[in-house]
Amino acid sequence: MRRIPVNERPDLMRAASEHGLEYSASDGITGWDESAYYQFSMREIEEDLEAPAEELEGMCLEIVDRAVTNDSVLQRLGIPEHFWDFIAKSWQNGDKNLYGRMDISYDGNGPAKLLEYNADTPTALYETSVFQWEWFEQATELGLIPEGSDQLNDVHETIVKSFPFLGIKGISHFACNSEIEDDKGTLQYLEECAQEAGLETCFLAMADIGLDDNGRFTDLDDRAITTLIKLYPWEWIMGEEFGRQVPRADVQFIEPAWKAILSNKGLMPLLWGMFEGHPNLLPAYFEDDPAVAELIDAGRYVRKPMLSRQGANIEIVEDGETSYKSDGPYSEDAHIIQGFHPLFEHDGHYPLIGCWLVASKAVGLCIREDKTLVTGKDSLVVPHVIID
Amino acid sequence: MKRRSTLSVGLMMSASLLVLSACEEPRVEASVYESVEQCKRDPIGDPDQCESNFKEAKAQHTAVAPKYASKEDCAADFGAEKCEQAPYQSSTGGSIFMPLMAGYMMGSLLGGGRRMGSQPLYRSTSSPGTFRTADNKSAGSTTGRTQVARSATSRPSVKNTTMKRGGFGSSGRRFGSAAT
Repeated sequence: MRRIPVNERPDLMRAASEHGLEYSASDGITGWDESAYYQFSMREIEEDLEAPAEELEGMCLEIVDRAVTNDSVLQRLGIPEHFWDFIAKSWQNGDKNLYGRMDISYDGNGPAKLLEYNADTPTALYETSVFQWEWFEQATELGLIPEGSDQLNDVHETIVKSFPFLGIKGISHFACNSEIEDDKGTLQYLEECAQEAGLETCFLAMADIGLDDNGRFTDLDDRAITTLIKLYPWEWIMGEEFGRQVPRADVQFIEPAWKAILSNKGLMPLLWGMFEGHPNLLPAYFEDDPAVAELIDAGRYVRKPMLSRQGANIEIVEDGETSYKSDGPYSEDAHIIQGFHPLFEHDGHYPLIGCWLVASKAVGLCIREDKTLVTGKDSLVVPHVIID
Repeated sequence: MKRRSTLSVGLMMSASLLVLSACEEPRVEASVYESVEQCKRDPIGDPDQCESNFKEAKAQHTAVAPKYASKEDCAADFGAEKCEQAPYQSSTGGSIFMPLMAGYMMGSLLGGGRRMGSQPLYRSTSSPGTFRTADNKSAGSTTGRTQVARSATSRPSVKNTTMKRGGFGSSGRRFGSAAT
């Protein structure tokens, strides 16, 4: 795995406008940097990333299978009791999952380490599946990357191919916080994928969802919502006023409710508890678990809220001292402690490898770089190639 | 090979835009009638099917028809004489109104031997000559054997009166993006 500087394509402003991405003369395309790419060997992709990601996915599904019948686990994850049966049923009924992104620390030496699993509301989807692929095609044409290069990127096709297998009957409703352009863009892209798969769709804001006199959720035309593809985290849904109606509303959710177990950073201690010593896992404990002393005493760990987003409220401790701490709104919430495995550094860039799983298959990579060890909302997606 | 299909992204995006354009929508065969009697008079019709398809459409009517919390609101869309009270009340005890069934669209064979379901049709005051499905899709103005947009043949959704909105969204207002 190497980071290789490369010329940008000549007309980035046009590329940005064609894809509806923000562009400024000083910073280029918001959230994107093609002044370098990461190069992997086929062995690194297949043996170090793709295969471990799918193995980890299998382990995650085992965690869900145990957790849904274990009230103390659901309690520990902070999931309200009102939803325990609902989550268990979503698993036992075989409610289908569509996608997720595993965040992985890997530098080409030694095994990839799973840092967390964005299993419910992953983003940078369009940048991965469409924009990164277009860069790859054009960079090949322009001779910016070596001939015979390849890219792990089957995300778009796999999503389109998966939609018909989700068991959706009738209209699929897509909902998010419509005031956030990024969220809207991601979800509209998913909606286009559904349309390409032949589904009938309807887009609305979470705040516009109604509740009818039969306890069903409705769209703005008062049609009952039967399938809701949401870019809105389960913990938000469960905590809001209409949340209590969810178990009775007879809606197929995507992602399904059982993903609430995997998108919680409490997943990391659960995985370590069940698969301690696995090469792709870091030791991790709930903060209130006495076993956490092992990491605290070693003075080298990361403290993360169980439910946080975009790198908020993360603290890194090295040699017993805090070396990094980010702000955020989650400081009062329950935390986990995880072994510290720093991201690989290259000229002040810290790449975090996102491995996309669609229908539980590893089908794409997206690398996000930050100037700090914690990948936050100012990180940039950098493309990758495979050269063998 | 990791490489995905050779279809270029440019082509792909424009193809999906075409799908969005309603005028490009494929049309399918269907039969539209105002009543069972009209269906039975049609020489190409099968009287037994007229009867069974009408029953199938009628059975859906209460569930799928648009619903209103007041008679006036229903009358504004469908006309004062064309509305009826739903056979149930809202959870707060209020009356619910819906348009009368103005006809039905019969199932015909779709490709692959699949049969299209029969469904009720309505006529609104804004275009009284046009039959509309319960999901407000045009089924044309001709009766008998006709052609309709494929989307008009999809199963209509169940409708009730929305009693309240805004019960979702507060966390988004507080935390912003859902991105992880």
